[in-house]
Amino acid sequence: MKPFSVFLFISVFVLLINAQELIPAWFEELPEAPAGFHFAVGYSGKYFDQSLAREAAISLAVSNLAKQLEARLIFELEEYTDGRLRLLNPSFELSYDEYHVLEINKNFSAVDSSITRDGYFILITYPGGSRRHRNSSIVKKWGSRPEWTIQLPRSEKFNYGIGMVSNYSSWVRAWKDADEYARFDLGKNLKITAQSVHAAQQDNHFVIESKILRQSYNEIIHDSKIIARWYDRENDIYYSLCRQPR
Amino acid sequence: MKKLIVIALLIPMAFMLLDCGGKKPKAKMNDIPEWYLNPPMAEDAIYEAGDAAKQSMALAKEAADARARDAISRTIEVKVSNMLKNFMQESGLGNDAEALEFTSSVSKQVSNNVLNGARIVKREMKTEGSMYHAYSLAEYNLNSLIQETINEAKKQKALYNEAKANLSFDELEKEIQKLEAVGD
Repeated sequence: MKPFSVFLFISVFVLLINAQELIPAWFEELPEAPAGFHFAVGYSGKYFDQSLAREAAISLAVSNLAKQLEARLIFELEEYTDGRLRLLNPSFELSYDEYHVLEINKNFSAVDSSITRDGYFILITYPGGSRRHRNSSIVKKWGSRPEWTIQLPRSEKFNYGIGMVSNYSSWVRAWKDADEYARFDLGKNLKITAQSVHAAQQDNHFVIESKILRQSYNEIIHDSKIIARWYDRENDIYYSLCRQPR
Repeated sequence: MKKLIVIALLIPMAFMLLDCGGKKPKAKMNDIPEWYLNPPMAEDAIYEAGDAAKQSMALAKEAADARARDAISRTIEVKVSNMLKNFMQESGLGNDAEALEFTSSVSKQVSNNVLNGARIVKREMKTEGSMYHAYSLAEYNLNSLIQETINEAKKQKALYNEAKANLSFDELEKEIQKLEAVGD
């Protein structure tokens, strides 16, 4: 095989891994669950064994649901600037109760699942037994850019947060991170401690500006769910929208 | 013919070499969001903008958000301290005299606030070469600030009541001790 053919083959393979063209409708927009029920989405990449793909997707859906019910978020960001060097150090720590995972595992049921060229998708409900959603099994292409990717929705009833990531080789990791960042963004919108010291030193010739900035929060967030996702194919950006009732 | 092909290949390579390792590409003026240059103004809210250019999009977003929120925090309350040093000297005689003047000033701004409901309401992400340039607009509803002040006042009142209660218990203990002393 000629080197050019090998290069072409690898390029096409990489593109196929990264691309995410078709998705179930409920992956783009989470349907409203009936009163007393919770919906959550799980997903996994390509597996040779479909049962393993399903297992991975269910495991992610269950952990997503546990985080949805209750999650402790610890966020800290520090930025140092001394006029020449900049150092930015954000840290994100999320933990959720193992008890919720065990409870969900005991009593959940699959509402719908889809296999696309990219992987396996599953929508679960907790407690189990909710009726099948009407729009189930509709596999579609990404819609046009939603308004929430530009401007945070305004609502008296809900708080929102947006997660954005780019340049990921795996779409599964990209969505996992976008979902987490959206949850952390919601937390920051609720309450954050902001501390900073700005200093400017000026003499006859130079002005040296230095800055130390620290922002942090440590909160337990209840009932926060990822209600919408959107993939910007043109710029390879993954967006997630997280919502929590006020 | 071969020479022509080699030259044709070398020219773009030379341009590429000249271009790399240079300055960071600057944002075009028409790429900068209008709300970044002129943040909205409202009677019941404070708006501040922040931006950051980074190799990673997630980092650019975090930094821009943090800077916008920091600007809000400094708008609410900031402690400023300034120091000015002036040094003047003249040496030599008559026309040969040399004057030296040196001025140094240091300004420090410190802020420390808890922001309840400081939301990033608008974001834009631009690409500049290999960098991501994030622009964020933070909104702080003044009702949140009023609520925060009320909560703080309530907390202070609770602390005062607690201190007052402790004080009366202290007094009670003192009275008991006095009684015990009389009993002895």
